[in-house]
Amino acid sequence: MANVVVNRVIDFLKKYPPFSFLSDELLAQVAKEVDLVYFEEGEFLFQKGEPAKSFFFVVREGAIKLTDHVSGKEETVEICDEGDVFGVLALLGKRPYILNARADEPSLVIAVPVATFEKILNENNRVSLYFASGFASGQLVVRSGLSQTQKVRALFGRSDSENGLMLFSGQTAIQYSHPVIYCPIGESTAEAVARMNRHKVGSIIVVDENKHPKGIITDKDLRNRLIGQNLPYDTPVASIMSQPVVTASKDLEFSKIYLNMVKHRLHHLVFTEDGSADSPLVGIISDHDILLSQGNSPAVLIKALQESRDIHEMAKYRNQAEGMLRYYLENELAIDFIAGIVTEINDTLIRQAIAMAIARHEADFPEVRHIAFCFLALGSEGRGEQLLRTDLDNAIVYEDVPEGLKEKAQNFMHLIARDVMDILFACDFHSCPAEMMANNPRWCQPLSQWKKYFSRWIREPDPQSLMMATIFFDFRAVSGKQGLADELTQHVYEEINQGKVFLNFFAKNALLNPPPLGFFRNFMVEKSGKHAEKFDIKLRAMMPLADAARVLILSHQVVGINNTFKRYEKLAELEPAQAALFKDAGKAYEIFMRIRALEGLSTNSSGRFINPDSLGKLQRQLLKNAFFPIEEIQKILKVRFQLDYFGS
Amino acid sequence: MDWRTFFGFATLPKPEYIRAYEKTLERRIASRKPVSELEFLVLDTETTGLDTKRDHVLSYGAVQVSHNRIKISSAKEYYLRPKKRNREAIKVHGLVRERPFVSREALIRSFLEDARHRVLVGHHLGFDLAMMERVGRSLGLRKIKSPALDTFDLAVRLDMGKYYDPRSIVSSEYSLDKLCERYNIVPDDRHTAAGDAFLAAQLLVKLLKQAEKKGIKTFGELMG
Repeated sequence: MANVVVNRVIDFLKKYPPFSFLSDELLAQVAKEVDLVYFEEGEFLFQKGEPAKSFFFVVREGAIKLTDHVSGKEETVEICDEGDVFGVLALLGKRPYILNARADEPSLVIAVPVATFEKILNENNRVSLYFASGFASGQLVVRSGLSQTQKVRALFGRSDSENGLMLFSGQTAIQYSHPVIYCPIGESTAEAVARMNRHKVGSIIVVDENKHPKGIITDKDLRNRLIGQNLPYDTPVASIMSQPVVTASKDLEFSKIYLNMVKHRLHHLVFTEDGSADSPLVGIISDHDILLSQGNSPAVLIKALQESRDIHEMAKYRNQAEGMLRYYLENELAIDFIAGIVTEINDTLIRQAIAMAIARHEADFPEVRHIAFCFLALGSEGRGEQLLRTDLDNAIVYEDVPEGLKEKAQNFMHLIARDVMDILFACDFHSCPAEMMANNPRWCQPLSQWKKYFSRWIREPDPQSLMMATIFFDFRAVSGKQGLADELTQHVYEEINQGKVFLNFFAKNALLNPPPLGFFRNFMVEKSGKHAEKFDIKLRAMMPLADAARVLILSHQVVGINNTFKRYEKLAELEPAQAALFKDAGKAYEIFMRIRALEGLSTNSSGRFINPDSLGKLQRQLLKNAFFPIEEIQKILKVRFQLDYFGS
Repeated sequence: MDWRTFFGFATLPKPEYIRAYEKTLERRIASRKPVSELEFLVLDTETTGLDTKRDHVLSYGAVQVSHNRIKISSAKEYYLRPKKRNREAIKVHGLVRERPFVSREALIRSFLEDARHRVLVGHHLGFDLAMMERVGRSLGLRKIKSPALDTFDLAVRLDMGKYYDPRSIVSSEYSLDKLCERYNIVPDDRHTAAGDAFLAAQLLVKLLKQAEKKGIKTFGELMG
């Protein structure tokens, strides 16, 4: 029975490969047999030339230096720290150590006896592959870092269907165009085009009397072979169609279909009953469908969203975007690129939703149907850094209308807002608990009212106002008349210039969340409640940086930069003296965004609450480093806005 | 006839495992033996209170250290089934879960087996040993006479030297928590017997290295 002490060891080992590959049972067996050895700085664990000991080592804390004697001098070859595995090579090869191992600082090391582990090497394929992959590349230390894990992943292939490249995501995910649109071979082109228009498709299959596919006509064929050739519209389809068509059986595996299309550079593949061209037509798939089913082509997804008028379809596309997000994050793409793509997708979705809402209601509001309005994204979406579908914060501002039309305009706008939000909810966005959303009548107002709101927040900076300001000041025009948003921005700066004291209050407000001092073991975790022992990355790490960036950028009167990390970039440019710190802060923010998004995807949550123990070593290290700028930035705020003398 | 029997002092015959333990005490550890070759048993108990006359042992945890290595394979964690009235209290506190309950005899037997030829170590060890003696009394265990090393005393001695005025010591500075913090030991599983024993073992290996630097190299010097 595993006791507390053994569990301690298990908890540690399971975070690091190769132990992370072991089943709980096997891991418990290993953990039960290990020793913990403590070495003072400078002490040798083993020396070059010594016969291999009967165990290998994992660093539990501290750092071990692997050194070699080069022309009489001891030179460091590798430094192993927490979670790194070393001393395996000699052990498996049953030969003397080729390097010295020496404690670089006081270190606690786990010694794993070879007898236990050899058994596992034999039983567990992944572990032996893991070691093999390291040694094959001449590695001395089995790194717990990312690169090693990725190498191994490539070696294993992924065990489950979530293939990293998402190339072959399984046949079920493909959308076959259904029902397939076709025309008889004797028809004129004009008739065929009429069919294509009726069904809003870009291609049509030409079939004979037995419904066997004989050819295909696409938009391109119409351009090149009909209009380009100056042929009349009553030209028979048979003379302009592409033929023969490449056919396949509908039971073919997706990967085969895909390869087939790539090989023949096909845009369309036609499915027939038995797979040959001499059997009845059953379906068609286009390269467009395939790209969509892969979900990692943002351009295709955005285009699909733009063309879609069906809520369920839109929701499905938005779900696919999540797969794309995961792929991007796992492959360490730059966060500004990722955020840009996700923001564009969300904006497209909103624009589409607005178009649908207008189409639905404009007939009932003939007097105000052309009213200018602007849909504003607020909060993190406003800053263009919302990666996950967390709470929605948004608003609508519309132009002021004559007294007589006020009520009509208001009703029309409310209906639009309501429909847009319903579509977003259907796409799995969450409702804002504080109801800072356009469907709340308070936040769907004419420009004059918005100006009043902002004036009040700036002139009377009580806690409530400041809270509102942190969310509303990051507004960004998503759709509609940009000019309305610009006018509002203008108004904000005018107000701030009149009452400069607002910025001091705003700066003080930005200090409400102290930096998560202490790290590693003592992340500032939540003390109680549902998220006890978890680290609130939004409150403790992201908000302090976002709030500070907002205040500083306002104090510089910069317009149009909403991303927190881009704001820091701009600040670095504006204040060369502090450039290094601002750049660090921007980087730190990107790291937080990445970690939060990954956490959210893996736990299917907002990713806000993170269990520090669940983080890999690399991520913990990243987080730890990323905390440093927070305190420094807050110091700058304190000095610059004289907050120590500023009563609350 | 034994004189004790004559005066009616005789208790039940001592069980074999207690006699075996006591026999090992006859062979003392040589005082010249290097510290790095010593064998230690680091232990801790969790009790109902601090009164060695009235309170009971609830659980016991121990782990062996030999040649400066903490032997995870030797880790022990035992729970004694609490007396009925205590059991009610525990239910209220919600502490009930699957636990490796053992009899008092099994506990003492395991403890004494592990204690043979080993130096006993603990933080405020005297209290734990007194509590263990209380558990073992009815079984025929009288006094635990193994060499005993208190990590509290060792830590103080490393700071203050061998001769110090006990009144000058702020004992809260040498609590297990404080020492863990100072020696960079992650205080997991605090206040479970096995968890605390594991912490004390980590503390021990670190203190012993310090001691070695200060010239404490043999068993004699360590205990002296």
